[in-house]
Amino acid sequence: MLGKASARGLVGLLLVALPVSLVGWLVIWPIISAVQRTVWRASPDGAGHFDLSSYVFFFSDAYSLNNLSLTLWTTSVCAALLLVVSLPIALYLRFARGRLASYVQALAILPMFVPSVILAYALIRVLGPNGLIDLLLNAAGLPKLRTPYLTPWGPVIGLVWDNIPLTVLILLSGLGAVGNSAIEAARDVGANRRQRLWHIILPQITTSILVALSFAVLGIFSAFTLPYLLGPASPEMMGPYMQRTFRDLNDPVGAVTQAVVTFGFCIVFGLFYVRSVARNQGK
Amino acid sequence: MATLSIHAVSKIFAGDTAAVDAVSLEIADGELVCLLGPSGSGKSTLLRMVGGFEQPTVGSIAIDGQDVTRLPPEQRPTGMVFQSHALWSHMNVFNNLAFGLKLRRRPKGEIRDRVEAVLDLVGLKGYDRRMTHELSGGQQQRVALARSLILEPKILLLDEPFASLDQHLRERLREEVRDIQLRLKITTLFVTHGQDEALSMADRIVVMRNGRTEQTDRPEVVYRNPLTPFVAGFIGTMNFIEGKVETGRFRHADFAVDLPVADGPVTLAVRPEALDLVPADGVRQATVNRVTDFGTHGLVDLSLSDGTRIKSLVRRPGPFHPGQGVGLKPRAFAAFRDTVKLYGAIDAEPADQH
Repeated sequence: MLGKASARGLVGLLLVALPVSLVGWLVIWPIISAVQRTVWRASPDGAGHFDLSSYVFFFSDAYSLNNLSLTLWTTSVCAALLLVVSLPIALYLRFARGRLASYVQALAILPMFVPSVILAYALIRVLGPNGLIDLLLNAAGLPKLRTPYLTPWGPVIGLVWDNIPLTVLILLSGLGAVGNSAIEAARDVGANRRQRLWHIILPQITTSILVALSFAVLGIFSAFTLPYLLGPASPEMMGPYMQRTFRDLNDPVGAVTQAVVTFGFCIVFGLFYVRSVARNQGK
Repeated sequence: MATLSIHAVSKIFAGDTAAVDAVSLEIADGELVCLLGPSGSGKSTLLRMVGGFEQPTVGSIAIDGQDVTRLPPEQRPTGMVFQSHALWSHMNVFNNLAFGLKLRRRPKGEIRDRVEAVLDLVGLKGYDRRMTHELSGGQQQRVALARSLILEPKILLLDEPFASLDQHLRERLREEVRDIQLRLKITTLFVTHGQDEALSMADRIVVMRNGRTEQTDRPEVVYRNPLTPFVAGFIGTMNFIEGKVETGRFRHADFAVDLPVADGPVTLAVRPEALDLVPADGVRQATVNRVTDFGTHGLVDLSLSDGTRIKSLVRRPGPFHPGQGVGLKPRAFAAFRDTVKLYGAIDAEPADQH
């Protein structure tokens, strides 16, 4: 019996060995290596020494801090807008019946299948100078609107649109767990629409909201393509900033330091996600 | 408390499917009426229309004479207990019960007193701080009942509330619910597909089939004097024997019995407890297939020569054994032609035979 149990244990270990090794090799080791590279530097004489100067520079450099605060601003605004946009869509899809709901679902999921570069190009053609909106306003004899292209709102619009599908799907799965009868029971005791949403539905999908926001925030904080193509040159989000520091300024330690700082913020959101999942499993 | 009037109510879903078809029903003050029928008979749809969760296509519903047909559930003086309990899992028992009162902005002291009182009523005193997932199925259903009762509805609606519970718990809870209903004298509409539940709890039973009412009567009348073959077959166990009436006598290939109705094909309906088994005396009318001893009585499963399977309830199963030939002696029976009742009642007690 013991032999059989040990064999089963060994098989289990073998099954998880590959993914665990891959995570160790491709995720854990680069993190350790990046942190190590930024705090343990080589002296001219070849000896290594502890050095936090790249972090001191990052946190004392106004430009770096502006970039970090722009990234935090973009992430917070995107997260808030995503919730405001995606929750009504998810609620509609959860409770609506019929053909229109299917069309709305298809539209809401569509951005998932559009590559970021195509999405950025489409947004430039619609929102950019002499884009579709400009042409329509001009045709209607109306004045031009200030384009969000190459302003902080450019990446916000693109990132929100890009993240709607995943957010809607996660919220929808949370709403699927809220039973019709639980909502009907609330109606039965006299709750109106707003009270049902606030007291019955939202408290039951808190975990889904946290998970959806964690996913969105993690993606947005380290986004590159959309901020690079739609955002301003200065200040810039951390993704383009890292790339420019590495390639244009030829400062790999500076770029890795920015990556470690970005990772530090992301891991906080990651912990939110892990905590939500753990709480959910504990129920 | 209140009366409930359902007048010619129909519910037609997309594709012209009539889930409920012109049902009318008057429920008196303090009465408990069971809607009984198989799946798809329209009983839950009818209950949900009374609760306001479905809108009737035609017809009207009135509570205490006031038309509530177009009122949403939140404005109706009804309280519903759902099959799945439908407790709010993010709230503890107290908050589940207090939610409706909080919405009505009742003072905190009153809310606390009423929650305590209703928990006492359903036998869950001291459970107010428990989360709902810490309760057993029966306790959850009691909380669901308490949640409906705490708002003192005029009409209590129960949608198969015991369906997810085991047999013992179901029997105990239905007695408790009936006791509470009688104590509060609350007008109640109860949906079930379990005939035991309907027979043991209801003041009146409405037997439904295909969205229509087949029969509305007191439980003993529905059982002993069913008006249609469907009701006869749905409530309790019934033997149906196809045959012909010729000159006032029902004739089957195996046996005959006097039946004063017009000549023609007839379905004889006999309850197992009204079908006595007698020694074959050389004429085998039926053959014993199986004998089941339930302790208090026995059930003998028999075959007629044309393959019809029938059952007889006997006080002592000892004398019977598989393969044995027996004679049949129905003491009470009814007769149907098509769906029309031609004759009789089927009231009977098992005879003290063998």
